[in-house]
Amino acid sequence: MRIARVTAWSVALPLSKPYWLSGGRLKFEELDSTFVRVETDDGLAGWGEGCPWGHTYLPAHGAGIRAALEILAPALLGQDPRALDAVNRTMDTALPGHAYAKSALDIACWDILGQAAAMPLYQLLGGDPDPVAVNSSISTGTPDEMIALIREARSKGYRTHSAKIGGAEATTDIARIEAIEAELQPGEQVTYDINRSWTPGIALRVLNGVASTSWVEQPCETIEQCARVAAAVRQPIMLDECLHDFQDHLEAWSRSACAGVKVKPNRLGGLTKARRIRDLGVEVGWQMHIEDTGGSALADTAAIHLAASTPEANRLASWLCQEHLSVDPVPGQGVRTVDGVVTPPSGPGLGVRPDPEGLGRPIAVYGG
Amino acid sequence: MGAEVRIVRISLWRVALTSHTAYHMSDGKTCDTVDAIVIRLDTDGGPSGWGEVCPIPHYLPAYAGGVAPAVEEMASVLLGADPVGPEAVMARLDAQLPGHRYAKSAIDIALWDLTGQAAGMPLHALLGGRQADDLPLYHSITCVAPDEMARIAREAKAQGIDQFQVKLGADDDWQADVARLRLVREAVGDGPLVFGDWNCGASRLDATRVGRAVADLDIMLEQPCRTLDECAAVRAATGLPMKLDEVAHDTASLLEAHRLGCMDAVAVKLSKFGGLSAARRARDLCLHLGARMCVEDVWGSDIVTAAALHLAAATPPRSVLNVCDLSGYVTPRLDPDGPVRRRGRIDVPGGPGLGVTPDPAVLGDPAAIFD
Repeated sequence: MRIARVTAWSVALPLSKPYWLSGGRLKFEELDSTFVRVETDDGLAGWGEGCPWGHTYLPAHGAGIRAALEILAPALLGQDPRALDAVNRTMDTALPGHAYAKSALDIACWDILGQAAAMPLYQLLGGDPDPVAVNSSISTGTPDEMIALIREARSKGYRTHSAKIGGAEATTDIARIEAIEAELQPGEQVTYDINRSWTPGIALRVLNGVASTSWVEQPCETIEQCARVAAAVRQPIMLDECLHDFQDHLEAWSRSACAGVKVKPNRLGGLTKARRIRDLGVEVGWQMHIEDTGGSALADTAAIHLAASTPEANRLASWLCQEHLSVDPVPGQGVRTVDGVVTPPSGPGLGVRPDPEGLGRPIAVYGG
Repeated sequence: MGAEVRIVRISLWRVALTSHTAYHMSDGKTCDTVDAIVIRLDTDGGPSGWGEVCPIPHYLPAYAGGVAPAVEEMASVLLGADPVGPEAVMARLDAQLPGHRYAKSAIDIALWDLTGQAAGMPLHALLGGRQADDLPLYHSITCVAPDEMARIAREAKAQGIDQFQVKLGADDDWQADVARLRLVREAVGDGPLVFGDWNCGASRLDATRVGRAVADLDIMLEQPCRTLDECAAVRAATGLPMKLDEVAHDTASLLEAHRLGCMDAVAVKLSKFGGLSAARRARDLCLHLGARMCVEDVWGSDIVTAAALHLAAATPPRSVLNVCDLSGYVTPRLDPDGPVRRRGRIDVPGGPGLGVTPDPAVLGDPAAIFD
């Protein structure tokens, strides 16, 4: 079985509400997604999606995915898409780095492997189809505004909340944390997501100034800074944006910088590399939020296959980007939240097959 | 140039640079003909600034095709910006698009060129002041048969070079690498610096075997393995000094390398760090960490060569290991009047800013214009 053709579409995904990153970083209203279809010489077709969370969040942007496909897609033509490690080695040799540009191709090849094996991806990734809890995303604001959002999320069935806080004023964040902790009901959990916006000094003041022992995510910019914070506070630290490759995860572990990580296929380069990191996380006892950086139900579904195959003890809730979009390019397909949980599709492969007619004209076709 | 100068146009050219001799490294990496991206920033009524980046395929997380989309992503911030004081502009670009340092490097160099012209001063005067009249070059010897490499070394020695980078690992034969280092060391005699560079291509085991087999010689090893930890292990096992390159690309990695004690020397390449602004910060940190610096870029022609020479000339000479006349390794020259190698050393261009004037005939038509 050989890869015969790769087709790419550019898909704009408007958000239902404009989004501001914490720390005053840019507002954005639309995600820039790239859908990829990989076709084989014997008639299989696999789908993948790469969608950075805007261009200001990580070293990743939509146009960069499409530019990198010019190098990656021709390099993959003629390869066996089921040989995922070889596929990844080919991509890494053709173009070092740029993990975000590789994830859609990697996911599409996993989809083909699943179809060829007549197995759903969660099974190939090692697990049972456990339902996965979905977490809400609470934008930053005043304590009252944030509590109103948590109540709204609770009414929709969410029991885990990701509350975005962070800024230059320690007292503001202390007030937010204390108000949210007082609001939580039995069985509810919250992760405070700082998105790198604290300096270590602010982090120590806030975290040593509150009684909460809830998770705190990516307090500062670097692994080094987060490790220094982790050593001096009670709360478990989760890392996200500062981790890009396996080596970064080894460093985070060896420096005791965290008790858990976010595992995002687009940040890491696809399911192949995300799985390696998930497996490391299970071995070293991390707890993980497994989700993608952004995208439609296509990207969400790939991430949920990995989440569902992860031991429950090592798994925290997953965020679904589709719930923040005003469009749905794969209507009715893939994972959908019911009562605060999702279950991955049980058919062969990824279980999402977009209708090419609905995606408009492809921006590129590689191969015959 | 008045205080209210604004960037009004970004032009981008793709120029194929061909090496005078094809250049072989480990893992099949070869530098034969590669595309450089040249950038010109035009201001409203003021001067223009030049930048360049030339990624070697398969070498670092950088490629020529990634530059234009990244520049386009950043164009809305650049257009209308005051170019004087590059760090302020670069901070806004980092907020607009994290990472992609190689694309930012070309922009940053052009901003420095404009800033120097605004000040009427050469860049070395703005980067700390000139501390050297001219700078020592190394010569990089492509990884071919050991005898041939020794011949190339003798030839370069006769022209005045006394630092030799010996590329290793292209045939994945550790004993051939031992022969390369022994023969080059013998060919150039006592005194000159000889360093063997694997470009990440060796296993810790093979690098240690090679290092221990030449440990009786005056040899430095460069970037044997992919990770900092592995490089530190090789240094500890061989007792040979070590130069780092690919793994040293930002403040965090320089600090970590220093902590691990494996950074006797380091390549401060502009596009690896993100331009002159970031390379200057790295230079200042390395002065404190005590690492000797090779101040250069990954590849390229006269613009990157000049930019690196300005930074090197403004660095205390005892901390400068060497520089590279990249423009002398490739054709065409972007600026035929750029500095050239003389008795193993090279001058810094004169005049305000970079002091480089690219030849329009060499550039041809721009591949993209943002205005």
